[in-house]
Amino acid sequence: MRKLGIIAAVLMLTAGMVFAGGGGESASASSGGISVNGLAYTGDLEIMHFSTSEEAEGNGGSDGFRTVLARWDEEEGKINLVQTILANDEYKKQIAVLAAADDLPDVFLLQGMNTKAWAAQGLVLDMTKIIKNSPYYAQYDHPKFYPFESEGKTYGLPVLTGGTCCVVVYDSKLWKEAGFSAFPETWADVKKADRFFNDKGIDTISFGNSGKWQINSCFLSTIGNRFTGGDWTHSLIEKKGAAFTDKPFVDALKFTQQIFASGIFNPDFNAVNNEDAREYYIAGDSAAFIGGNWDVSYIQATLKESDPELYKTTKFAVLPQPEGATGDYKTHDIGLGYAVAINAKLADNPEKLAAAVSLAQEITGPDFASYVAENYALGGLTKVANIDLSKFDQSIQDFYNFSYVDNKACDIYDSYISSAVWDVLNTDLQTMINGDIDPKKVAENAQAAYIANY
Amino acid sequence: MLTAIKPRRRTIFLYLLIPTAVYIFVVFIPLLTACFYSFFEWKGGPNKTFIGFQNYAYLLKDKVFWESFYHNLYIVAACILGQVGIAFVFALMINSRSVGLKGVHRTFCFFPNTISAVSIGFIWTMIYDYRRGLINWFLELIGHPEMIKVWLNEPKVVMPLISIPLIWQYIGFYMVIIISAIASIDKEIFEVAELDGANAFQRAIHIVLPLIKNTLLVCVTLCIAGNMKVFDHIFVMTAGGPGNASNVMALYGYKVSFDQQNMGYGTAISLAIFILSMTVIGGSQGLVKRLTKEKETV
Repeated sequence: MRKLGIIAAVLMLTAGMVFAGGGGESASASSGGISVNGLAYTGDLEIMHFSTSEEAEGNGGSDGFRTVLARWDEEEGKINLVQTILANDEYKKQIAVLAAADDLPDVFLLQGMNTKAWAAQGLVLDMTKIIKNSPYYAQYDHPKFYPFESEGKTYGLPVLTGGTCCVVVYDSKLWKEAGFSAFPETWADVKKADRFFNDKGIDTISFGNSGKWQINSCFLSTIGNRFTGGDWTHSLIEKKGAAFTDKPFVDALKFTQQIFASGIFNPDFNAVNNEDAREYYIAGDSAAFIGGNWDVSYIQATLKESDPELYKTTKFAVLPQPEGATGDYKTHDIGLGYAVAINAKLADNPEKLAAAVSLAQEITGPDFASYVAENYALGGLTKVANIDLSKFDQSIQDFYNFSYVDNKACDIYDSYISSAVWDVLNTDLQTMINGDIDPKKVAENAQAAYIANY
Repeated sequence: MLTAIKPRRRTIFLYLLIPTAVYIFVVFIPLLTACFYSFFEWKGGPNKTFIGFQNYAYLLKDKVFWESFYHNLYIVAACILGQVGIAFVFALMINSRSVGLKGVHRTFCFFPNTISAVSIGFIWTMIYDYRRGLINWFLELIGHPEMIKVWLNEPKVVMPLISIPLIWQYIGFYMVIIISAIASIDKEIFEVAELDGANAFQRAIHIVLPLIKNTLLVCVTLCIAGNMKVFDHIFVMTAGGPGNASNVMALYGYKVSFDQQNMGYGTAISLAIFILSMTVIGGSQGLVKRLTKEKETV
């Protein structure tokens, strides 16, 4: 009756607000393969994820995930792997509803920002010992576990590829014409170049923030780090005294407001999303674009076919350093935003749990890492030694070096804390970069949401 | 013989039982359970803590919610004037003897009503688009490039801009209802009025309007009910932005429940939408009845 009530309440919420069309891609696959690692469990094992077949086209992480998952499914013939595959946006909403109804699938992808709340409510299995006993433990890149830790315990195996969320994609040929042999290291220089590009009738940098999250993930996480440093972010995550209202963070907000008011971005930055903004770059309507690794995959794939010349001249850079920022310059926010987590209820069924653990370890293990390294020059949870970059073209090599070699990583804000906080902040940020709200007020609102929800 | 064609009471009861059960399951049980859960803090997981009326106390002070409610009222007012008002004018025009191809006009007016709200949102987003939109193209064409704007990023005009697609979509729906109401008026009344020298405007105000008053009241009620829960095309066009400049109650409730994972407060918002919608509908009906009653007694 209690469960019926929860379902009814969720139904009320959903019916009252939106009837989203279409369900997810659902696959129930049972191969005729022979079990090779001796798992005793036979029966259904549910997994819910967002690596759809469409997503996997050109996206190394999704392709690798689907490939290794299919391999495991084939090898574990006695286990009926039941997959629920949704697009990312739908996945995030559906998994939250399932968590609220205490009806999570056996294996699912846990978002960093949900870790503390779901762990505190006993929804996800504590995987600390499982990870320590993993055959791949020595190969894991351990800092990647940080978003999935709470009170000294680890609740998931970071999955997919570690992609940057903040990269400047620019046409080196155009910037050379503007007098810069590489992308400027200061915003003052970008403003100088803006005059040149204005005369040419194109935007200097295109950016899309109609979804509201882009300004947080693809800009503020890196710029904020330049002002506050990483310790401040960790203090905020661990509730050790940092606050959104601290001066360095407010300074980062002030800078963000000023730079968006400076006219270097496309005027419609708040009315278009990142998919539109990257098209401006592809079409030659802007000299640079700011986005994430998912945009880079698309730009590379498109330009390779449609404009090989621009493909060759396209380069990658970190955000220029704001005036007054004291943090490291060569930084970008990068990380693994999701981890494979296991429903805590599986602790009562050791055989099923062993199957879930095996699945989690394989789709995050060396097989996956090798696949994405060899095919896409991308990195996963486990380290791959001696990646042969020579078989990739210059653009892929450049992006690999940008992501993993030349620059330092900083935290992606919305991999942590709570969606309730980011929703408030992102909404205010959109107003702020329009110039309609004071950065201090934005910080105060975010702090109020932080206190109320975290 | 009559008893043979009269269904038994049990048969009637059984036939009614199925839709009644479905209705209870999809309306009343969710309503009651939502009411129950609105008294809990229910964030990001199954655990719930009873907090009494705290969600409602917060709701009363929640500026975003009341701003969203104001936006709903704005859309309701715009749509009553736009949808029902224009539909009334169109219905009179189509009923006029001087207008030919009445069927074609009816079909074209009704056509937008058959398109999904999401598609409508995309179509109008393209019309308002900064670079390739029709409006900015037209402004450029007539030599007023200084008036070009990022339309959906203008907090001062975004509300009328998102109301226009909604008005455009539903004019045909109300027009069809009003045409059928006008068709039921005795034609002799119009003929007599014409003989008495009443012009088209006088006939519309003094004959048509009073005689289809009840139909118009139904149209206004449907218009309010529909627009108090408006969601889809705003979600597509602006997602409530810039900031909260075009946020509406249903969208805010959706964001609180699913994006912020705050189910307890989300259910409180759902109930507030229900109560406020009933109040606005009841209030408008009472107002119209009172105004028309006063007129009748005068």
